[in-house]
Amino acid sequence: MLLDIEKEVTPADSRSHHRYAFKLERPYAGLRIRFEYAPKILEDRERAAELIRRSIERYVEPERREPALERAEQFQPLRNLITVSIDDSREHRGACHRQDPVQELYLSERKASPGLTKGAIPAGTWTVTLSFHAIVTERCTYRLKVWADEAEGDFQ
Amino acid sequence: MKWIACELHTHTFHSDGRQSLLELARGAADLGFDCIALTDHNTMSGLAEREAAESATGITIIPGMEWTTFYGHMVTVGLQQFVDWRQADIRGIGSGAAEVRKHGGAAGMAHPFRIGSPICTGCYWEFEVENWQDLDYIEVWSGTFAPVKADNRRAFAFWTDRLNEGVRIAATSGRDWHEQVATEEPISVTYLGLEDETAPIDREAVRSLKAGRAVVTIGPLVTLEARSDGIAYGIGEAIPAARSGRLHVRVAVDSTVRAGKWEPPAGKCKLVLMGNTGTVAEQTLERLNGSVDAFSFTVPDRDLRWLRAELWGEIRGVRTMIAFTNAIYLD
Repeated sequence: MLLDIEKEVTPADSRSHHRYAFKLERPYAGLRIRFEYAPKILEDRERAAELIRRSIERYVEPERREPALERAEQFQPLRNLITVSIDDSREHRGACHRQDPVQELYLSERKASPGLTKGAIPAGTWTVTLSFHAIVTERCTYRLKVWADEAEGDFQ
Repeated sequence: MKWIACELHTHTFHSDGRQSLLELARGAADLGFDCIALTDHNTMSGLAEREAAESATGITIIPGMEWTTFYGHMVTVGLQQFVDWRQADIRGIGSGAAEVRKHGGAAGMAHPFRIGSPICTGCYWEFEVENWQDLDYIEVWSGTFAPVKADNRRAFAFWTDRLNEGVRIAATSGRDWHEQVATEEPISVTYLGLEDETAPIDREAVRSLKAGRAVVTIGPLVTLEARSDGIAYGIGEAIPAARSGRLHVRVAVDSTVRAGKWEPPAGKCKLVLMGNTGTVAEQTLERLNGSVDAFSFTVPDRDLRWLRAELWGEIRGVRTMIAFTNAIYLD
């Protein structure tokens, strides 16, 4: 395994990136990435209501705040959002910007998960970037694993 | 000048959309569009299916990407390669936008007043814009039945404020289209005016967007031309400072476009010539009857710095703007 990372983040990590590099000593047929994080949803609805209220005050014009606050419930539940993007030793290989808290991703010459660009798996330093768009729960744990595959057939 | 119907903000399952590029292009063709920009969040991998989707549907697909950053979403269209969104810093978007333009793209603010994080992460534009010339456009109409939505009215007013400050920047619509679901709500179209009809459509469309040669509508195509000293100037162009004092303005309302794909307004409509000085001229239209109608005005150009046409009418019981042109500028 090239990477196996488990880490906890908090709301203070919102709007930041964590970058993890690994090195391929030689080209491979494929690369597999498993990324997951939990919890996804802020279950504490009172805490969520407070965050929503702050957002409305920050982003909504004063004259529209009151009706927005009356409809604040529509924004429940609030969710954590962490996205994955990948760079090989030469170029960017795409990003997976979606809400799924568990993502099994793959990359190879002929196939790639949606969001990623298929192509050779060259030797050199690769980077997985985790982008913390929002962490709303008090704590959120993520796990990132990366493997190299000898043959494309390994991931179907 | 050929005007093509464009949808400039779309997503597929390569980001958080729930449609393939082919499904998206088919949906666009069914709605009478000629062209879409694929603007998935932070990836361009969906373009691998571009050629197949174009040949199956006849829709032109402009490559693009929505920079989905922590401080705002920036739609970028027309660039041929990835430009890294992860370097974006709240203190300025200028260098990122410059890089997009260096690679042939146009850069615009997406839905600048949609509620932001953590409800919709990065959706509200918080970037400082040091120089407005760094950006090509503002997406002032987002979503369906866009002109009646408060966030869009705020964006439209924001754009008008920039014009009044002397900034020359285009305004567009974008559905932010994530899936093929039928909607009864009016759909916005950004028409881009192709100057060179022999050039590749995608490149020419981006050139038009950068030049501000754009009209936004939920119905007819409204175009604007101003003559000064015998020379005609079109949308996005600038009339030089030495002028005779009068502009001869012609507005055409083409109700034949996308026939049957939009709901005609109920009752009378109003055509308004708007500028930095406020309403410059008005004309009542008895009805839009599936034809091309032209209207002429002669207006003084003193103190005028920009001029646009707006069409107002009643849609679904709401008095609303139906269409607007981008501005003709006066030096």
